[in-house]
Amino acid sequence: MTSGIDSSPEIISQDVSSSSERQMSQAEISDSRIPASSAVCLPNFTALHSLVLLADSALPLGSFAFSSGLESYLAHRTNKSSSGSNGAAFHSFLRLSLSTLASTALPYVFTAYRRPSRLEDLDNDIDASTPCTVARRASIAQGRALLSVWERSFKPHYGEAKDEALRPAIDALKAFQYKLRNAVEDIPGLGINAHLAPIWGVVTRAMGLSLQDSAYMFLFSHARTVISAGVRASVLGPYQAQHVLAMPELQEIIRTLLEATWNTEVEDAGQTIPAMDLWIGRHEKLYSRIFNS
Amino acid sequence: MSFSNPFSLSSSRPGNGNILVSLLPPSTPVLQTLSYQYPLKLIAPNPITANDRLVYTVFILTYGGGLVAGDTILLDVTLAPLTRLTLLTQGSTKIYNTPDRKKLTQQYTVASIADGSALCYLPDPVQPFARSAFSQTQVYNLQSRTNSSICVCDWVCEGRPARNETWSFYSYTSKNEVWLTGSGELEAPQKKRLLIRDNLIMDDNGSFSTGLRERVDGQGIFGTLIIHGSMFEQLGNHFMNEFEHLPRMGNRKWDDHVEQVVTDPIQAARLSRQGREKTDGLLWTSAKVRGSVLVKFGAKEVEGARRWLYAMFKAEGTVEREFGERALLCLR
Repeated sequence: MTSGIDSSPEIISQDVSSSSERQMSQAEISDSRIPASSAVCLPNFTALHSLVLLADSALPLGSFAFSSGLESYLAHRTNKSSSGSNGAAFHSFLRLSLSTLASTALPYVFTAYRRPSRLEDLDNDIDASTPCTVARRASIAQGRALLSVWERSFKPHYGEAKDEALRPAIDALKAFQYKLRNAVEDIPGLGINAHLAPIWGVVTRAMGLSLQDSAYMFLFSHARTVISAGVRASVLGPYQAQHVLAMPELQEIIRTLLEATWNTEVEDAGQTIPAMDLWIGRHEKLYSRIFNS
Repeated sequence: MSFSNPFSLSSSRPGNGNILVSLLPPSTPVLQTLSYQYPLKLIAPNPITANDRLVYTVFILTYGGGLVAGDTILLDVTLAPLTRLTLLTQGSTKIYNTPDRKKLTQQYTVASIADGSALCYLPDPVQPFARSAFSQTQVYNLQSRTNSSICVCDWVCEGRPARNETWSFYSYTSKNEVWLTGSGELEAPQKKRLLIRDNLIMDDNGSFSTGLRERVDGQGIFGTLIIHGSMFEQLGNHFMNEFEHLPRMGNRKWDDHVEQVVTDPIQAARLSRQGREKTDGLLWTSAKVRGSVLVKFGAKEVEGARRWLYAMFKAEGTVEREFGERALLCLR
């Protein structure tokens, strides 16, 4: 809690202006920014709380089972004589992977967040746009897991909100869940799949996150998944992994990608890295593998 | 302020083309409409008979063999029930450079495939020159999910490697969509359903510092093949089956120096094709997606990809049998 108070500018200014502390030495002043007993006014933590909940790496999305093509990419790399170290290859892959996710899936997060009632259509369209079995399997597994977490853990607390801004998302999830459970198919074999990106958009809206935070976290979680896969594939160590996650460059990449796709319609979402489809699709052709994708 | 035009507007617009194959009862297909406007040119040689059916062929050409900045092609293709059409090109479609990266060359193709009809569209690859900007969309409207059949290829190469052009265009986007427009199979007949959307976006002013070269990983050509419908079911299975039979990556080759004797002709053809895949740097993947088979491939050079596609189609035989040897013209 102290860090939360420390970062609040109003509290600091209150503190410094109190007359008794003006006589303190410089060192004492800089140490005494945390008030012991003055009344604090804390901001509303609801959005932060939701953010922390969804950002938890313990969220059972099963993303530990997926490397998003990293494993296959590294396997294809070993065939190339001119390749550098695996570490350099990893960094290059991370950027490519984020870029692919931003161009293919992020528009679905944006649109689902903005218009939750389109959830079912978006789910159909992203399914039609996912060209390979491996990527499709990963996206559906995580989407369904998120939907289950919503249903079992979050809905009892968030599901009854009266807020006009949250209601459409909550109702959309309810209708979607109903159709998924009862396997409603208007055309055989073309039922609901529950891909991650549109579900993410709607769930984060239902939990009161801002669109910026939701989209940022979508890309950040992907980076974390790929990096943790990198640790398990022993291309980088656990400290290095945190180092990469903390890099300002990562923030910059995510920010640039958000800016570039902010207004992209789902109809214009697409693959920007043609080789990525080949790497992910050929994951099944690896002789030995530790990941599902 | 607006003025009414005293002259009626011409219905023909530059770059527009129309192809309509209809059925003369009881069962004779005819090429009812074939119209086109500069810079588009359509040529229909005499139809051939394949598997007792009359198959029409239309060559899609452009004056000068390529498109310049600002050209817009709008091609409308309609296949009546029980008809067949082969679409071909004569050499790669060249996209010339543009003075301004925002001035696009565009091509838009809409094909409607009725119940029981089939389209085979295996063109030459698109060849975007340095500093060109191209955008194309192909929309395939299927009336029947099972009995409207398509076998279409969309591929793009790096430019003119002889002039050191490697993916040095400004932008290239190509979108393929397969829609079920339906009759009877859908609850609400007005509502179309998207079956496949395959969108490739290659743009050199990409959002961050990954240049095009890094994104193509040393390949010189990429392509997508969409196979859908009952007529091409065997063909789709062939691609899936051959993908299954690809050797596993990272497997130790214990028998490197042992000469294998292969007597099975299918196995022998497979092994020789796989050998060529390796030398041509050809990587491919095949997936069953919502009733279609979607094949993605990449190779170092155009010729390698061409050879591979030809070998795959030739070994299976559906296209040759149902559309004639000519349908594979662009792959030879």
